[in-house]
Amino acid sequence: MSSANLIRVALGAYLLIFFSYLLGPLVVMSLTAFNSASFPAVSPWACFSYEWFEVLFNDKHIRDGIYYSVVIGIGTVILSVSMGLAASIVLTQVWPKLRSTYYTMIIAPILIPGVVLGISTLVFWDRVGAFLGVSDGSLLHGLFHNGIFLTILGQSTFIASYTMLVFVARLQRFDTDLTEAALDLGATHTQAFRKVLLPFMRPAIASASVLAFLASFENYNTTTFTILEYKTLTTVLAQKVRLGINPSISSLAFIIIVLTIFAALAFEAANRNKDRKLAAAQGRGVTQKSGILPSFLTGNPAAVVLVLLAFMVIVMVGTAQRYSPEACKIAVREAKQIEIQKRIDALKETRRQKEDAKAAQQPSNAAPATPNNSSAFGNVFAPGNLSGDAPEQKVDEPEPQSGTGAFGNVFAPDNLSSD
Amino acid sequence: MKKPMIFSQFFKNNGAVMGSALIGLVAFWLIFLIILPQLSMLDYSFRYNLPPAEVGGPKDVYTLSNYEHLIYGSDSSHQTYNTVDLKVFMRTILAAMLVTIFNIFLCYPLAYFLGQSKGSGFVRLLVVLLIIPYWINEILRAFALRIIFGDSGLLNEALMFLHLTSAPIDFIRQDIALYAGLGYAYILLMLFPMYNVIESLDRNQIEAARDMGASWLHIHRRIVIPYAKPGIVSGATMVFMLSAGALAAPQILGGPSSLWFTQLVYQWFNDSLNWQQGAAYAIVLLVSTIVIVLTVMRVFKVNMGDIGK
Amino acid sequence: MSSGVAVDLENITIRFGDFTAVKDANVNINGGDFFSFLGPSGCGKTTILRAVSGFLDPSEGRVLIGGKDMAGIGPNKRPTALIFQNLALFPLMKVWENIAFSMEVAGASAGERRKRADELLDMIALGGQGDKLPSELSGGQKQRVAIARALCANPDVLLLDEPLSALDLKLRQHMRTELREIQKRVGITFIYITHDQGEALTMSDNVAVMKAGVIEQIDTGHHIYDDPSTPFVASFVGENNVFRGKVKSINGANAVISTNRSGDLLSRITPAQVGKMQVGDDAMMFIRPEALELAPTDAASETTITANVMNEEFEGNSFSVFLEGDGGKMIKMSVPNLGQDHISARGENLSLRYDASNAVAMPAGELASE
Repeated sequence: MSSANLIRVALGAYLLIFFSYLLGPLVVMSLTAFNSASFPAVSPWACFSYEWFEVLFNDKHIRDGIYYSVVIGIGTVILSVSMGLAASIVLTQVWPKLRSTYYTMIIAPILIPGVVLGISTLVFWDRVGAFLGVSDGSLLHGLFHNGIFLTILGQSTFIASYTMLVFVARLQRFDTDLTEAALDLGATHTQAFRKVLLPFMRPAIASASVLAFLASFENYNTTTFTILEYKTLTTVLAQKVRLGINPSISSLAFIIIVLTIFAALAFEAANRNKDRKLAAAQGRGVTQKSGILPSFLTGNPAAVVLVLLAFMVIVMVGTAQRYSPEACKIAVREAKQIEIQKRIDALKETRRQKEDAKAAQQPSNAAPATPNNSSAFGNVFAPGNLSGDAPEQKVDEPEPQSGTGAFGNVFAPDNLSSD
Repeated sequence: MKKPMIFSQFFKNNGAVMGSALIGLVAFWLIFLIILPQLSMLDYSFRYNLPPAEVGGPKDVYTLSNYEHLIYGSDSSHQTYNTVDLKVFMRTILAAMLVTIFNIFLCYPLAYFLGQSKGSGFVRLLVVLLIIPYWINEILRAFALRIIFGDSGLLNEALMFLHLTSAPIDFIRQDIALYAGLGYAYILLMLFPMYNVIESLDRNQIEAARDMGASWLHIHRRIVIPYAKPGIVSGATMVFMLSAGALAAPQILGGPSSLWFTQLVYQWFNDSLNWQQGAAYAIVLLVSTIVIVLTVMRVFKVNMGDIGK
Repeated sequence: MSSGVAVDLENITIRFGDFTAVKDANVNINGGDFFSFLGPSGCGKTTILRAVSGFLDPSEGRVLIGGKDMAGIGPNKRPTALIFQNLALFPLMKVWENIAFSMEVAGASAGERRKRADELLDMIALGGQGDKLPSELSGGQKQRVAIARALCANPDVLLLDEPLSALDLKLRQHMRTELREIQKRVGITFIYITHDQGEALTMSDNVAVMKAGVIEQIDTGHHIYDDPSTPFVASFVGENNVFRGKVKSINGANAVISTNRSGDLLSRITPAQVGKMQVGDDAMMFIRPEALELAPTDAASETTITANVMNEEFEGNSFSVFLEGDGGKMIKMSVPNLGQDHISARGENLSLRYDASNAVAMPAGELASE
């Protein structure tokens, strides 16, 4: 008995750790979206605020990014769903000896690193463009150089493999006699495809489209190479995150998380509802009293949570119209000023002592020792940035061919203690 | 002699219009999106980075110099070997392997738990909870970890509050953030293939073994793990390839210097505008990861057909 | 309704790679006939059907429908309609849409289609069920919908690929009668594929028995049963006791076979082999269990066999007696149930006799494997 309890406790602890690792960062990030502090943090908590949502909605780069992401997503869905569907149909008919080779080829893009796919797409279509003699200003020039076309191609290369897997799973349950029956009854091949196979594949096409769109929307590795003139949401975000972060990104993440939860719950609720209807149709379902709740909600926890969540969002948006954290912010700012002054004094003091000590042993110090060195990320979180007016710093990207030690800096003893 | 017959049968089965559409789409994908771009990249990697005017000219010949650069470094460098890039390369491969192994151990118990306790509401809730982070952008997930691992991030605040450390720990420079981020980024790609396979394992097999007195460890070693092998290898392959090829996590969670091989590739392309050199590095990454994956698949006797299930 | 159209297969050979599925088949099917291909699974009968319906082209030979060569004409252009083994009703379409599918692809209006579908639904006694989905129908109803769907295309030839195999025994017997009636009513040519000899014999005007891609015999059901031309047909259609031996003497259409274990036995030579057998040839002789009857024990002759009773089984309408003759030769006898308690006792030594006209002899050959 006690060993069974032990296992249960261990399992509980393990689940807790796993899900904390998985969801904890997302929760923390969501919370930072409501903190008025100018860099994303939950502690110290300044003021509850919606201002980062406003910053987000006014950010033209992000709006454009979303627009291009959607355009590319739609293009990728169309291309990858058609290619994946065609490939899966061919897979069911391909000569048995060729089958495994063919399968390896169409599954390979999943395993090729996204970076490599991006590069190869860029390199190849750049050549095609050159071969076609695409000149500035021509219609084709836009096609090859604004990056949208290339990104759709690059993303579809591997997303088509994902859609193919969805279609293969569905096709395994397709009875090819149905197509033959349609042909036998006088349908052309196109009619048989349209009237028999396509309706059967519709659920798979729907889920493959969602999958393809999401995969396209969140892709970074391939897109960052193939997107040339414009930026997608992910590349905009990556740029922002690398150059310095602020909680408007958290607010975007929060919105995406809420949307995802909505979708997941809606999916789960629909599934439950279907299961329940099925059970009821088979006479196993208990006849339910039609109470206050609509039948969709009874015995469907996912649906209940969904409705509650929707309610919360409405309340939140409602309060956001009125709530103003100004008073709180002023108070926090004053407290902070005093805190910063204290820290600066303390820092000056320690530095003076250190320099005195160093000067005694080592008169000339190497350049990286200055606190204002290449540690872009370190500084973002440095207390001095709290005031929000620190100059934005570029990420330091050392030239790879300079053999003189990108790592040298990291391991330089002074860097570790510089803050 | 046989090939034309196959094609004629194919067109007979699908009709001229549908047959051409199917063949056309598949051919476009295979030839223009998969094969030719890879070959094109391979070709690029053996060329000099020349100004546009000289492309196709007498200087435009094949060379191994881009690969030599990875091993020996530039001529002006004082070292015999390009230790910086080689170190990054080794670090990428080894760290990707470690991340993969870490993920296997972390996911296996959960995959087993979810796979074997079917249908209960709690399990369904857990699966929904798993799906949510799956669809959050890679960038945003890395960003979330940065909030936690930053100098004044939640983790440091917590450690300092508990007096476990007096000064903030620089998780980012210590690479801890990077490895945590990589482990985090693709963990579900390890979990789901394992879960799918274990879910199809007949519970009676486990009960039969238990009935015959097999220990808990023995059941896993002899029954569950051999059965779940395709799922484990499939997940491990995905995690390894994606970790080794990750770009967002190293860019966001890595320190100021380049830690990850993909970052070098990125820099050759976007900062140095030396596509030829970048293509060579990409080829090295592609070939070495594929060789490792194929070796592992050979060792564990897993087929390509098991991948992506 | 359209009158029957003849179907001719001329020297049809069908190969898949190195495998020959059908070898040099010649079949002439009269217009309006109910014609069956009977054979064990894998004998090539479905392949022939697919060649007639146009899903595959014969490697050699011609398919003629109504005297017209069908080469290069796709399944959707041939005047045939196929009823699939699993029926292949479109699961996402309503019953009436299924039935009128051929009109839909030909561009008929919804009103026309619905009208014709309702007529056919009435014909198959499913009036008013048109708006159901196929999954809501019973097995027999689905069967009839599949027939109606095929007939809606006004085919000249209806092809049926073991359509009854999924039904239970009772329904199967009922559907046999119904199919035959429908065929008489519409008057078109039916080509029926089955491995069930009962179906083939009860419904067909003519039956072709196939073995491993080769047509062994084409004849009426009666002749197939009584006058099998090869050992395969004799052993595949119905039950038979087989006696191996050599031809001892031939007297016109009769022969004495010197059997390996049961002595010399007199038999009629099967009509297709008369004049083709020589004294001393390896031969096989077949006697059906129901052709054997009890004889006085001392009546030794060229039409009696002695054997010991091993076992007796009660079958309802008959008794099956299993006996062991000399040298361990197994013999089965079938005796109609006329109210007896039993026929024999275990271990009893019996003499069995038969009428020589009920035994058939032919050159030795391959038997149908059980």
